[in-house]
Amino acid sequence: MRAGSEAWALAAAAGLGALLLVAALARGEPFLGAALWLAGATYVGSLAAAGGRVDAAAPLAAAGLLICGELTAWSLDERSRLRADPTLSSRRTAGIAVLGLAGLAAATLVVGLSAVPPSHGIAWTVAGAAASVIAAGAGVWATRG
Amino acid sequence: MTGVRAPRVAAYASLAAAGLIAGLALGRVEPVALAAPFALALVAAAAPREPRVGLRLSLARDRAVEGDEVVLTVELEPDGAVQRYELLVPLPEELAVDGGPARALRLRAGEPRTVELTLRCVRWGAFRVGPLLVRARDALGLRAWEGEAGDAQVLRVYPSEETLRTLVPPLETQVFAGNQVSRARGEGIEFADLREWRPGDRVRRVNWRATARRGSLWVTEQHPERNTDVVVFLDTFAEVRADGRSTNDRAVRAAATLVHAYLERRDRVGLVGFGGYLSWLVPESGLRQLYAIVDTLLTSDVVHSYVLRGVDVLPPRTLPSKALVLAITPLLDERTASALLDLRARGYDLIVVEVSPLELLAPDPAAPVSLAHRLWRLSREALRWRFEQVGVPVVTWREGIPLAAPVEEVNAFRHLVRPA
Repeated sequence: MRAGSEAWALAAAAGLGALLLVAALARGEPFLGAALWLAGATYVGSLAAAGGRVDAAAPLAAAGLLICGELTAWSLDERSRLRADPTLSSRRTAGIAVLGLAGLAAATLVVGLSAVPPSHGIAWTVAGAAASVIAAGAGVWATRG
Repeated sequence: MTGVRAPRVAAYASLAAAGLIAGLALGRVEPVALAAPFALALVAAAAPREPRVGLRLSLARDRAVEGDEVVLTVELEPDGAVQRYELLVPLPEELAVDGGPARALRLRAGEPRTVELTLRCVRWGAFRVGPLLVRARDALGLRAWEGEAGDAQVLRVYPSEETLRTLVPPLETQVFAGNQVSRARGEGIEFADLREWRPGDRVRRVNWRATARRGSLWVTEQHPERNTDVVVFLDTFAEVRADGRSTNDRAVRAAATLVHAYLERRDRVGLVGFGGYLSWLVPESGLRQLYAIVDTLLTSDVVHSYVLRGVDVLPPRTLPSKALVLAITPLLDERTASALLDLRARGYDLIVVEVSPLELLAPDPAAPVSLAHRLWRLSREALRWRFEQVGVPVVTWREGIPLAAPVEEVNAFRHLVRPA
């Protein structure tokens, strides 16, 4: 019963996320953030509900979410009526592809590093903490600048 | 330039932070893996620096005629590479560009680039082209820098003119030499009369045949060629505008045509813009006067006003005596009609060219409104009758008809009716 209600909740959240993505395509980027948020939260919620081992498909889900966001933004950008150089489309395609692959690699690295036993010493602990601080700081720096 | 982030950058940042926090809170690695690509995208968004691009704007020419095409050249000199450089030329609706006024291009470091846009001059007027709105973006569109660049260029589009083979000759001429045959007697080409010789007459004017017949000296008199003063009176109190067409547009084109034609005959031409904004040019001749009048016509837009205005506010030299006054008006405002009747009462040679607004105002099929339309047309007929009663010819210039047609109509009227 509990599993059934959780499944319905996750399905409803996923449906709402899809609707928000359609709304983003129709009305603009402000809806895109909400759609990505809901998709990510649905995925994390499903993991928390299922429990168990590490999901090996997590890097694919992460890269897929990022590529979905970038393609949606590109679709919205192309609606402006201007005559563009033919090379711009190919360069943006390449950029999204590179970003997607790099994101996939980064997510895979994260999942791979999580397989390292925690008792490998203080160095790993410090490295993990430093990585968290750097990541948070980069996020703050990026949003500010 | 002002730096701008794409709205999704904030969403990526919050996703990355939320993923890290969720990973810590749930003790799972998947949320952190979900956050990693978005953190990478944030680094990609933070990496680009503001580009420096030199921009120069120039027009192939600063004067054109309606229907002409003028090339706008944008020269770009980038210091560094710009993945996507967008530029937009803000244009008034009177200037059109095929493919739109916006372009997007890629700039390579140190490589100048030139963009040409062909502007089509749809309507007359004086326009400012530029400065451009520019935006430089990275390859993914995560960051952008926006601003203005280039100096504004002024483009004057003159009204198109029609060809007129004949003009309305004024009743009186002036004292300077010109192309109009005067009613006075003197030295010229056109034969006027014969008279007896008087002391002071030149020998070459003696008509020997008449002298032989009559036994005393008789001389030939001719009509001299003199110039005339013409004042174009443009009514800018009101207009009718529909579907991009306007009575004021046609009136300005007619004024430009008549001014050019009379100046070519070495007449002196002046201009009075009578409306919410009063403007005038004293009659002069020559090419400089043509440019002065046409430049004034470019600013002849209708300005709505409730001020009561008469011709007495105009300087006396604007309306010389014996001048031919050509009034171009849609006859919509009573103030213009009163001013013109005042001019007639002062003895001016007046002709009214009515720029008909009827083609722009289709009557509504509903009965009460069509009755109002008929009453309005009757009132216009009554106004025309008032002019004709005082000997002022009123000719209607309809859309699609050449301007030469009402000019011929005026000449025909003058052959039948000799004004006082």
